[in-house]
Amino acid sequence: MAIARRKLKKAPKLNLIPILDAIFIFIFFLLMSAQFIDIYEIGSDAPITTSSENHPEKNPLNLTVVLSKNNIVIKTGIDGIILKTVKLKNLKEYNKTLQELKKQYPNENSAILKPARNFKYENIVKVIDQTRLISEKNVFVTAVDDQNRKYPSKVLFDKIIFETQD
Amino acid sequence: MKKMFFSDKGRRKSEPMDIDITSLLDILVILLVFLLKSYNASNLKLDLVKDLKVPNSEARKLGAHSVIVQVDRQHNIWVKRKKIGSIDISGQKIDSLYTCLEEEQKQYELKNKKKNKAINLVFDKELSYKKMKKIMHTSALAGYTEFKFIVKGNY
Repeated sequence: MAIARRKLKKAPKLNLIPILDAIFIFIFFLLMSAQFIDIYEIGSDAPITTSSENHPEKNPLNLTVVLSKNNIVIKTGIDGIILKTVKLKNLKEYNKTLQELKKQYPNENSAILKPARNFKYENIVKVIDQTRLISEKNVFVTAVDDQNRKYPSKVLFDKIIFETQD
Repeated sequence: MKKMFFSDKGRRKSEPMDIDITSLLDILVILLVFLLKSYNASNLKLDLVKDLKVPNSEARKLGAHSVIVQVDRQHNIWVKRKKIGSIDISGQKIDSLYTCLEEEQKQYELKNKKKNKAINLVFDKELSYKKMKKIMHTSALAGYTEFKFIVKGNY
């Protein structure tokens, strides 16, 4: 009798079928939405001319970046005074120059790009990257929000406008 | 008699077969992790044309769905993966692209009762600014004034 009562209980088996069904559906959904290269966008608006009643700032930065075959010329002001000429290979120096400018003009966020006719798109993207963000780690500039509050930021001049006039 | 034909041995019910799914589950978990890692919340689906290499960038803004214009290394123009012509430098705008974009704009307006300003531009990394400018200018004339340059994330 005692032996019969002591009949060994079998361990209950987990029913994995519904979980597997759910995982399969999840995998199909992910496979459909998977992109095997990570794609991002860089925004740029076409330049438009508007007549405004507002008076412009006294000394606007008017940052203009002229891209030639080997050089990057940084111009500022309405008259387009050359601030610095940097070699295209030396993008770190270009980025540092923009950091200094951003410190002086924390409210400015636009840059006008004037590439040469044969300037390659790949190099334009490289210059845009260095114009928009600080490339070095742990380096920040002080930015100002709408309510004039200061905060650390890695953004330099993120509004890129292409000069389309010949 | 019966016993002769259907012996106990033959009538024995076979027990349900146990399949070891441990290895299958291992594969599924790995696949799941890989797919979750590559999951992209963007609604922009890009199907690149042949002979087009997208440049690398540090930009991390996800793209959004809109008209996609692609220009390959041979300067052929593709709209929605349909070849519509090639970049012609002469003239103020690229006529084939302009007509195609105007049509797209009309269809969008009919559907959404407003204009679409955003255009996704996918250029080969070797493309010159002169040709880029032509595409941008034509797009702007067709009402697409917000250019979204599609780039590849580099790590």
